[in-house]
Parts: sequence; structure tokens; C-alpha cells
Amino acid sequence: MNPVIRLVNRNLTISLNMGFVIWQVVFPLIYIFVAGFAYTALIHDVPFANKTLDYPAFIATGMIGFNIMNSTLISGIIIWNDRRHGMFEQILVGPFKRSQYILSNVYTIGIIGLFSAGLITAVGYPLFFKSVSFNILTVPLVVFASITGAILFGSIASIISTRLKSSEGFNVVINTVFLFFAFVSTAFYPAQGAPPILATAFYFNPLTYLVDVVRAGIFGYFDYTIALEMIVLAVGAVILFTVATKLLSRLEI
Amino acid sequence: MNRSGILHIIQVTSLSKSYGDFIAVDNIDLNVEKGKIFGFLGPNGAGKTTTIKLLTTLIPPNNGKINILGIDAVKNPLDVRKRIGVVLQQPSYEPTLSVEKSLEKYGMMWNVDKKTRKQRVEELLVAFDLLDIRKKKNDDLSIGQRRRVQVAREFMHDMDLLFLDEPTVGLDPSARRSLLDYIKGKVKSGLTIFFTTHILEEAEYLCDEIAIINKGRIIAIDTPDQLKTKFGREKTIKIHVQEQNVSSLLSDIDCKIEYNSGVTITVHSDKSEDVLQKILHILASNGITVEDLSVVPTSLEEIFLSVVKNSNESSN
Repeated sequence: MNPVIRLVNRNLTISLNMGFVIWQVVFPLIYIFVAGFAYTALIHDVPFANKTLDYPAFIATGMIGFNIMNSTLISGIIIWNDRRHGMFEQILVGPFKRSQYILSNVYTIGIIGLFSAGLITAVGYPLFFKSVSFNILTVPLVVFASITGAILFGSIASIISTRLKSSEGFNVVINTVFLFFAFVSTAFYPAQGAPPILATAFYFNPLTYLVDVVRAGIFGYFDYTIALEMIVLAVGAVILFTVATKLLSRLEI
Repeated sequence: MNRSGILHIIQVTSLSKSYGDFIAVDNIDLNVEKGKIFGFLGPNGAGKTTTIKLLTTLIPPNNGKINILGIDAVKNPLDVRKRIGVVLQQPSYEPTLSVEKSLEKYGMMWNVDKKTRKQRVEELLVAFDLLDIRKKKNDDLSIGQRRRVQVAREFMHDMDLLFLDEPTVGLDPSARRSLLDYIKGKVKSGLTIFFTTHILEEAEYLCDEIAIINKGRIIAIDTPDQLKTKFGREKTIKIHVQEQNVSSLLSDIDCKIEYNSGVTITVHSDKSEDVLQKILHILASNGITVEDLSVVPTSLEEIFLSVVKNSNESSN
């Protein structure tokens, strides 16, 4: 078996415990079905591209991007735990190259990202099925967003895990950064109608681009803005992945 | 293989590693023969772990050559790593996995086939006394149990050379002895072992050859017996008598006198036979009966302390 596949197998085994799966399912379900319906009293319709969505449909599609981001925390946690529990050195004195270790993390993030996207799409489908407009051109948008988004956020988590030395520091930084990503984005509410400063801040956040592309894929919409957002997402993923790889390669033992 | 036909599994020439101004390993040479246990001893910070990291390709050297199993370890580190096993000094474990699952997964990481993995897991659970905790998660184990799992895990895969960096740290005496005996058994089947420890009795019990490193330099290297011959000329003699008034009789002899349920005279000398004869003559001529007499040869620990002390004095 290929060394990278063996490492991916190991990564998935140590990460996918029952607690993680429950967290991955229950957490978004609460947002979709509790917050989604509770806020309909305040938010009736949300404009998206050429459509008007009800709030549960809007938040359900936002949760796909949110869940991809959350699941890629796993990447940082794997690296962090490997360093903390001595497995990083142990793997590097085994039959693996550093590049294979890094690649295995990318594949793990990609698999978990796709799994999360699929899971929330399936769970949220009843809420947004009325507005769904899948076609052969827009479905790849969801896959593209899942993979690039997973690599981008996985790289951020990896960078944080290579720079910090204490568990408290790691937890505080990663939770703060991901909390900012989650709530200063269009995952939960549209940019239109938000105070101008906040609406601008949304577009300094990669999660906004990720959920916009996911929504474009699900609601069958594509224009110049979506193309631009895809480019930003891809460029961001490449840059952050390069930085994460360099930091991981230089990590002192 | 060298000119005398001995197959060297490890050949190190002029190996150095420094971190800024600090020289961790200073121009060392060493050879380890196939099927032997090579002990690597030294005080804390002497350069043992850095040497292991260099030999296992975890860090690159600044200078020198490292040849492991006939492979240039600097140029082809992966080829070396595929054929060695390493138990590092620091603990390493997968906190979320059970003991048996972590053994199984480690075998999978080494590409051991499923049937062999299953068989080896069972063997190692027995050999390392892990049967009772096979379902326990690594996170819930004691330090000693975790260390046993860490060492056992390394035997999931085949290897030609095993590096053990203080493998018995945290183990109780019986687990320690079981591990040492297990290692001895593996060596009989052709495995070569590079072993570091702080416990000198372990080195004496296990090793065919010992190198002592201090301040990054190898200051002694030989078999345990030869080290004792070279550095262990001194012996400790203990003589027990009932007569209390011996100190004035032995005032010309360099010895320590302790008063207990009689008197114990302790002599530590490299001319022990001569000193013993003198003392016995004085005691006999004064009508003092010797109740007990013992001669203790210098232990490896005393040799280690003496060699390191001499090395520190000469470098100062």
C-alpha cells in the first residue's frame, strides 16, 4: 500500500471517533433546524443572486461551508496531537518522508471536507430542495468549493498548530480565529443589509467565498462574481498551503 | 564488511553536529557489529539523543559520514528508515486508540500484512504483559504501561537494526527485566541493537560493547569486561572486626573506619592485595580476629563515574 494512503488511513482512524461525528452532525443540525426556523420570525426572505430564499434554506447552505471549515480543524488537531504526543518524530523515523506526511494531511482534509459537505447537503436538502437548481455545470462548483475550502482552512489550522507550543495557546488561537471566520461571514446572514463596515469585513473572510460558491452550486447560479470568488478561494488555498508546507518542513525536531 | 571480515551494521566517521556555538556531537567514530547490542552511555546532555537522531536520519549532521546497513544515511535516509526500528526517548502514542488498535495501526503504517499484524498483536500483548489492558485507551494508561506499548509497537514490523533510547524509563523492575530478556531473545535471532540507558546494571547485563560519551565526545569504548580491566583496577575491601580500638593501629593505611555493631574497615585502592595483606598482618599481630571479609570489584557504574570525571577534569 502506498505510504500516503497508509498515513491517511491512520489519520482517519485517530480522528473519526464517535464524538467527532456527533459534533459534525448535531452542531449544524441545531443551527439549521433550531436557529434556521427560529430566525424566520425576524428574517423572512434572503436574496441570493436571481432568487429569493427562505432563511432555513439560506442557513442550511451556509452550514455546508461552515461544516467544511469546522471539519478541517482536524488537520491542525492531527499535527498538534502528533507533536504533543511524540508521533510526529515517530512517523519521521519510520518509512515516510515529510512530504508524504504533509500530503496525507491534505488528503485527510479533502476527504473529511467532502464527507462534511455531503452530510450537510443530505441533511439540509429538505429545507432547500424547493430552490435547488443543480445542473452539470453547477455541481462541480460544490465539489470545487469543498476541496479548495478544506485545503485553505486546513492550511490555516496547520499553520497555527506549527507555530504554537502550549495546548492552551493552541485552543485559544484556533477557537478565536475560527469564531471570527464563522460569524464575520455570509454563512449565517447575507451581506446585503449589514452595516457597511461589517459587510466589507465579510469579504476579507475566506468562508464568505466558500459559502457563496457552495450556494452558487446548489442554486444553479454562475456569474463573474462567483468566478472571481472561486479564483480568490483557489489562490488563497495555494498560498496558505504553501506556507503551511514550508512551516511543517522546517519544523525542528 | 571490514578487512577482518566483520560486518558492521553501523559505521560512523568524524560525525559532528552543532546548534549555533553549542557542539552536541563532536567528531565521533564508532562501529557496531551485526547481531550485537551496543550500549551508548553518558551523563545528561552528553550527546546520546542527538547521536541517535543523527543515526536515525531525524536530523542531518554538520560533518561526517553515517553508514547504516551499508547505506549512506545522509544521502538515502528513507532507505535506512525502511530497515530500522526506533524507540525514541520521548513518549509517543495515539491517545484515542486502544492498546491493541495502536499496535495494529502501527503495523499497518509499516505495511505489514493483515494476517501477520493480527498474529503479532497477540504475541506482543503476551510478551509485554499487555493482555489486561488491551482495550484501554493509551490516554488512560500509566507512564510505565505506555512505555511498554511504545516498545512493543516497534516489534510489529521487521527490521535489521533497532535503536532504543532509554527504553526502560518508567518501567518497574520486573517489566524492565522482561523487556531486557525479550531484547536478548531478539538479538539471538540476528537483530542488532543500539541501546542508550542511564541504568548501568542494564548496560552490563545486556551489552556486548559499550561506548561512553561526554560533552559530545566518545571517551571510552570497549566490551564491559575490557572497560573493567582498563579502568577498574581499584577494588573495595570491607573487613569487619569486633575490636573497637583499631584506628590507631591502622593510622598509616588510607582506609575508612565505621563504628557499628563492631568496626567496619573499608579500603578502596588499586593495590588492594597489598593493602589487604598489610591490614591482616596488623590485625593478626595484635590478636584481633576478622569476623567478615569481602572484596568487591569495581562496578561499571564506578567506572562510568570515574571516566566521566576524568574527562571533565581534563577538558577543564
